[in-house]
Amino acid sequence: MPQSAQPTHLIHFAAAFGAGGLLSLMVLFNGTLAAYGSLFFASWVPHLTGTVAALLLLAIMRPKRAKAARPPLWVYLGGVSGAVTVMLTSATLNSALALSGTIALGLAGQMVFCLFADIRGLFGLPQRTPGARDYLALSLIIAGSLVLIFFGSTP
Amino acid sequence: MIGFAALAILAGVLVSLSRQINGRLALSTSAMESSFWNHIVGLGFITVVAALAGGLFAGSPAQAPWWAYLGGPVGVIFIAAGSWLIARIGAAQTALLIIAGQMVFGVLLDMWLGAPGNLWARITGVALILAGMWVSRTGRD
Repeated sequence: MPQSAQPTHLIHFAAAFGAGGLLSLMVLFNGTLAAYGSLFFASWVPHLTGTVAALLLLAIMRPKRAKAARPPLWVYLGGVSGAVTVMLTSATLNSALALSGTIALGLAGQMVFCLFADIRGLFGLPQRTPGARDYLALSLIIAGSLVLIFFGSTP
Repeated sequence: MIGFAALAILAGVLVSLSRQINGRLALSTSAMESSFWNHIVGLGFITVVAALAGGLFAGSPAQAPWWAYLGGPVGVIFIAAGSWLIARIGAAQTALLIIAGQMVFGVLLDMWLGAPGNLWARITGVALILAGMWVSRTGRD
């Protein structure tokens, strides 16, 4: 099988792993908020404070726009997809799937769709073909995640 | 049950869909601007749905500890990072490494907070994840 189109640079590798660490903090913060307020509130507040924080960061960093031409309107809808995710998981959390089943099936849906998107080059993102090594890494990381999800939090 | 399973899978698909759309926006603008639009559009959407469904301020959210309100700024960095990475290392690699980081830091956070857990399961899980990351890093041209 062919190797990936480009090798992963250490900086990208570390940034993605660190972003995962940020996600575990977000789950803790937003989950604690949901324990006191409604699930809507636990998603509404971080979107509100996040909007303010992003505005401040944009004002400070003043990042250059990559292209002068306006992108198509649908590229602004990523936030809707993210907000619907919160609502779907709040429904499945209270079903027989519980937290572990919700996370495990979510991982499956995420990885399958990502591979499909990479192979087809969906949404104007670079097309890439995963190699045997990528599938081995994927299997190991998902296996480890499933061990943690199903056996890690029970004493 | 099958219906809920389908919803849980769909939720995972939407996580990657959201990151891909944000990544496409970052290609035209910047990662931080893409994170801004993700948050303000999501805020508008949740506000409308919550207004229709009601109960946004139910419970006792004012009693939550102050640090529980810090998820927003952390999320801005998280979304910007995902938008930046996906065009550079692909959707699958981005998702996989984020999952690895979330799981490993999640275990550290749980242990630090004293959450109950099985030590051997934690060691096995983290070891498998680190092995997967090692496989992913080595042997590339």
